[in-house]
Amino acid sequence: MTERPDLTSSSPVPPGPPTREVPRVVAEVAHLPTAPTAATHPLSFTGQSGEYFRIWIVNLALTVVTLGLYLPWARVRQRQYFYGHTWLDGQNFEYTASPLALLRGYLIVGAFFLTYTLATNLQFQGWEIVAGVIGVLFVALYPWLVMKSLRFLAVSTTHRGLRFRHHGRAGGAYTAYGLANVAAVLSGGLALPWAWFMQRRYQVENAAYGSARATFRGDVGDFYVIGLTGLAVAIGGGLLLAVPVIALLVGLGILGDFDVVGGLPGPGIIAGIVILYAGLLALYGVAWQYVRAATLRYVLNRVEVGGVVRTQATFSPWRLVWIGVSNTVAQVLTLGLATPWAAVRRTRYVMSGVQVRAIQSLDAFCADFTPEENALGEAATELLDINLGF
Amino acid sequence: MTDPAPPTLTLSGVYFDGRTSRDRAATLEVSGGTLVLRAEGGLETRWEITQLGIDPPIPGIRRVLKFPGGARFETADDAGVSALEARLGRNRGLGRVRRLESRWGTALGAVALMVLFAWGFVAFGLPALARTAATATPDTVLATFDRETVELLEGQGYVGPSRLSAARQAQLQRVFRRVTARVGGDYPYRLLLRDGAPQDAPFELGANAFALPGGTVFMTDQLVRLARDDRELAGVLAHEAGHVTHRHGLAGVYQGLGLSLLTVAVTGDLISAGTFAAAVPAALLRSGYSRAAETESDEVAARFLLREYGTTKPLRDLLARLETQDRNADETDVEAGSRVEDLLQTHPGTAQRIRHLRELEERAKAR
Repeated sequence: MTERPDLTSSSPVPPGPPTREVPRVVAEVAHLPTAPTAATHPLSFTGQSGEYFRIWIVNLALTVVTLGLYLPWARVRQRQYFYGHTWLDGQNFEYTASPLALLRGYLIVGAFFLTYTLATNLQFQGWEIVAGVIGVLFVALYPWLVMKSLRFLAVSTTHRGLRFRHHGRAGGAYTAYGLANVAAVLSGGLALPWAWFMQRRYQVENAAYGSARATFRGDVGDFYVIGLTGLAVAIGGGLLLAVPVIALLVGLGILGDFDVVGGLPGPGIIAGIVILYAGLLALYGVAWQYVRAATLRYVLNRVEVGGVVRTQATFSPWRLVWIGVSNTVAQVLTLGLATPWAAVRRTRYVMSGVQVRAIQSLDAFCADFTPEENALGEAATELLDINLGF
Repeated sequence: MTDPAPPTLTLSGVYFDGRTSRDRAATLEVSGGTLVLRAEGGLETRWEITQLGIDPPIPGIRRVLKFPGGARFETADDAGVSALEARLGRNRGLGRVRRLESRWGTALGAVALMVLFAWGFVAFGLPALARTAATATPDTVLATFDRETVELLEGQGYVGPSRLSAARQAQLQRVFRRVTARVGGDYPYRLLLRDGAPQDAPFELGANAFALPGGTVFMTDQLVRLARDDRELAGVLAHEAGHVTHRHGLAGVYQGLGLSLLTVAVTGDLISAGTFAAAVPAALLRSGYSRAAETESDEVAARFLLREYGTTKPLRDLLARLETQDRNADETDVEAGSRVEDLLQTHPGTAQRIRHLRELEERAKAR
């Protein structure tokens, strides 16, 4: 909160800031028969942790006071803050979802979730049937919910007055999120990077800005490299961690604290197990965060929109892992009060490392007919914590 | 709002037609019921003020005015748009939210409110909810709980068949019937006398008695032998009947469920590390709840003992003997523990319980 970005009090940039003039000129040159020149537009994030903290805490308090009914409004406002403070080529993004549409979805998904939780925990008569039906329904609908969510998220995003769109269909969703996930499980994780590839491809290939479709130039092999790096981090870290802990346990055993037979284990043993457990959790977190960060960077470097725009990511996945880990520590130590700061910090770093390269001015895109999407899938991904990958 | 001649309002910003991504510098003039938009390139459009949509304000973000057909006007002139909102009576609710969001005072108030709410919910809301849910739970569910718990305890060898003589067992069943007739309410009670330390038990119950939600009460041979007379055991059985009538067992289950849901909601995406870190306070809170339940059941036992024998001493003595595991001990042999020790115990400190029982007796005599 002591750091203040150059855009003081984050007052919106008036139309036509200097950064925008450059591509204009380039665009004039572009229709010469020579090879088109690319212009690079950096993304920037102007949100501030202090300001976002106030929005976050006030909305949290309102959600609590209204017994959760305000939740959709809180979610929309928080998202609107992040979208609205993300700038590209002098214009910001906008999140346009209707809280009322979200509320309906939340209520439906919430009712199912509550019934399932009660059934499995209370085990009243016939609970197996209730829980079973809901469980099967969820598994069967999961890819469809992901599709609905992607479509809703896309039409709820606007830039320069044009909506994004997601053209994903159920068939593709069932391949990428159903078949691929089943294959990943059945193969004992061997097909997991392939599943990631299928899912990212489904997300990107069906995305569109106005009438311009996006294409994904990624390769499944690179996802295996990312997956193996993550695995190496986990195994290597596990060995580094296990050696001193085992040594400690053996040392304590020699000292006679190894009193498991006929009694409770000694405090040394318990401490060792706790350290090992916490360490393994942290390692899992680090490896998973690396996979997420590396995938995000990789995907952003392989997206092309309408054949004239490419996204480019230059942030470091390892730095993002560090931000993720230190954010978690800060959130735990502050009992969650650092959550807004952590979110702003992460977004600012990611956005400062993303650029858009265009061989055409960004103001030359056209709208597409956009049908309204319902918010059920979005509600499901929000409430059931379905991870869409980013 | 019905001001005959509201001043003309001019906003400057940027215009998008909703069909292309082209941005044009523009001005929007609001006079009376008409809007006139003049954009770069000689474009001029008119709308009725009723066609205008104003997006709710978000701190630090420029304002968006929407027109039919996807056209929009974005402006940094927040004051101007706010004036327009006020004139048209739009976004009243979220405008107020924005005012709350822009002040540190209200933000700190929200923090205080959250802390207060979290404390109040955990300390009062959750137990009340759990009690209500436990009271509303149908008897068939209670019976299922009992049946499955008995199967588990006997199947896993936690308890064995009682070694008490048939005559002694019949005598204890009579005591139990008298107790439940007095303070047991309308539950299908049964007393299961069992050996609390059979060979190869995974965990030794020892001298113990406990009630299952549906009215099944277990009492071990070890406890029967620890008692000096049946008045003491009657006190224990009345205490267990108190657990049943107040539905403590079920309320405990609901509380545990609520706490774990709450923990997930609060720690959210703090991966699984959060669940581990949250397990400790959750366990402490749970023990706090069961301390309240023990006190409540002691009061039921005291009511029974005072009416039958005019004193709570039998239960006090048995509690002391349980604490010291000494057959010859009585209530004077138990010292008060430290406060930290009290907090960590599932049951209230024995000394504290004895003191409470004595107070109940004195209060009854003073009446």
